Amino acid sequence: MTDRNISYLQALNEALHEEMGRDSDVFIMGEDIGLGMGTLGVTEGLRDEFGPERVRNSPISEQALVGAALGASLTGSRPIVELMFIDLLGVCGDQVVNQIAKAAYMSGGKAKPALVIRTQQGVGMGLAAQHSQSLEAWLVHIPGLIVVAPSTPRDAKGLLKTAIRDDNPVFFIENKRHYPIKGLVPEEECLIPLGKADIKRHGRDVTIVATSYQVHTALAAAETLSKDGIEAEIIDPRTLSPLDVEPIAESVRRTHRLVVVNEGCRTGGYASEVAATLGEIVFNDLDGPILRVAAEDAPIPANLRLEAEIVPQPKDIESAVRQLLP
Amino acid sequence: MGKMDFTGDQLIHTYRQMRRIRDFELAVYNGVRRGVIAGGPHLYVGEEAVAVGVCTALHDEDYITSTHRGHGHLLAKGGQMKPMMAEILAKATGYCKGKGGSMHIADLDLGILGANGIVGGGLPSAVGAALSSKLKQGGWVVAAFFGDGASNTGSFHESLNMAAAWRLPVIFVNENNRFAMFTPMQWTTGITDIADRAAAYGMPGVSVDGNDVLAVYAAASTARERALAGEGPTLIECKTYRFLGHYVGDPQDYRTPAEVEAQRENDPLLRFERVLADRGVMNEDERLDITRQTEREAAEALQFALESPEPDMSELVKDVRHPFNPL
Amino acid sequence: MRSELRMPQLGMMMLEGTVSRWLVEDGASVEEGQDVLEIESDKVVQTIPAPAAGILRHTAADGETVPVLKVLGYVES
Repeated sequence: MTDRNISYLQALNEALHEEMGRDSDVFIMGEDIGLGMGTLGVTEGLRDEFGPERVRNSPISEQALVGAALGASLTGSRPIVELMFIDLLGVCGDQVVNQIAKAAYMSGGKAKPALVIRTQQGVGMGLAAQHSQSLEAWLVHIPGLIVVAPSTPRDAKGLLKTAIRDDNPVFFIENKRHYPIKGLVPEEECLIPLGKADIKRHGRDVTIVATSYQVHTALAAAETLSKDGIEAEIIDPRTLSPLDVEPIAESVRRTHRLVVVNEGCRTGGYASEVAATLGEIVFNDLDGPILRVAAEDAPIPANLRLEAEIVPQPKDIESAVRQLLP
Repeated sequence: MGKMDFTGDQLIHTYRQMRRIRDFELAVYNGVRRGVIAGGPHLYVGEEAVAVGVCTALHDEDYITSTHRGHGHLLAKGGQMKPMMAEILAKATGYCKGKGGSMHIADLDLGILGANGIVGGGLPSAVGAALSSKLKQGGWVVAAFFGDGASNTGSFHESLNMAAAWRLPVIFVNENNRFAMFTPMQWTTGITDIADRAAAYGMPGVSVDGNDVLAVYAAASTARERALAGEGPTLIECKTYRFLGHYVGDPQDYRTPAEVEAQRENDPLLRFERVLADRGVMNEDERLDITRQTEREAAEALQFALESPEPDMSELVKDVRHPFNPL
Repeated sequence: MRSELRMPQLGMMMLEGTVSRWLVEDGASVEEGQDVLEIESDKVVQTIPAPAAGILRHTAADGETVPVLKVLGYVES
């Protein structure tokens, strides 16, 4: 295998080019994507290659945009929708929650909503309260939705290709701070399965489950902890729902300590879900409580210093780990 | 193809389709009164000409999206009474294995994308199914049914605009039965004729007598031709009326029994019976014969549903999602 | 053969209804479709027809409150 060091954004772009080239039923629609490269930059070059029919600029109509993906997917197409910000879930919520997520079940299994909704979340650009949230907890709560949040270029490319080929509705959550991150991605096709976690760092002293950009925050914290002889094992679920519980449980049986890191607000956040689930399974293997490291329960402020402080930082993870160690 | 092109047999078939809906809905009504149907289904009695007029203009490969008051659309599009009734009773033999219920009946093989419990919820899907037709050059159109209440939703606005902007083969069929749940349309809507909204989106809009099945058919036919010719969507407002409440047991505080009685003169079945009689196509004996058949078909469907098994408990967690495709 | 009479659910939110009064007495002969009792919920009064022809049996009494879809009586044919 030949690996190249490319950015997360480039990895996504490659995935889209390859899948659209492979299957003529795949098309992409979203706001601003058809001209230039769109707000996120992920769709650059696609319109030139595949034309305006398959790379569609939509009106600012999230309900119609997201709902149209359902109708298209049930009639032989494989749409990819770009939902510019996850904060816009409120605008298209009915189509996500009541239509797309429930189509398979309500039809007794006949409907195959083979669609992907690509979106992005998180802080990092001072875009403030309505454009910086991390809302995976809302999605994970709805049965029928597959929710993935890859943290590296390789995971992003492999998971996006798999998501496009799958017959389930997949929410593919990118992160603002991911796009420039570079990583090794094979030149050859490398699909990553849905529903499988990945150990990003091996360690014997504490298990850290981290999602999305927090994988990188956790890796930074692990470096610092390592200097003090504390070795953290970092597990990236990659698919948030359904969660691949077994590797996490297996890790905790070795380390006896668990910290869960997530960029959403603490209350009702994804870290709570992971903590509760693991608590039921590995309670007797734990030497202390499961700790959550999450954003403060507040809207994201516009001020960049405040913004940086409100979400988990390496020092917050280090502090949680040290709390668990004697 | 206009009114004059219907053969006698086709006219009778059209009548039979309307009669089937009427008798099916009355059987459901009966089932609710008997305490064997739960969930408060929303019945289509009085609106049969809209579903039948539109679906007669559609071909098998066309799709429809429906509403919470969808039994009429589903039957007109080819739905069979037994699996429909079984789904309304939430039995294992229903179209959705008893897991969808009255408001979510779907059958993709019949081109039925689904009834919908959310007012206006099916319109975006209809736009998407039409987009698919365009992209795949599939040659089908999509008829999207929705009510006067739905025409005030954001979903309506976005869907009509998107369909017009992208010139998609959608027929937007508005069933204006004057009441959105319990509220008269004129209390909540700034205009009187929903067809007037079409111009705002850049598509033709027509207002037809929704109780005249041939008029509905003509409008739908024209819209279908337009759509297939690449001219984009059409909005057809069908002015109609529902004789029963929003659901069975609705106290109907929003109208008087006298008003409902007066509207009965305009019953689409009565009117079409007169048309067929005038044309010498169907006499009274033939009419009674058809009615007996449809009543029996509906009664047998209810009996089938009553005798059908409940879904197995294991169905509770099945079909939430599909197994992941192997890589 | 028994055909059951059940409390109807007249609307999505109705949880229970009250037997206002039986219109036909226990043990009497009824025809299919004949109105045999009257029930009441918050909003509405409704008559219930006999599901079959035969002898009517009451199981719920006048004034009794019964959850929706539960049995009120039956007809023996």
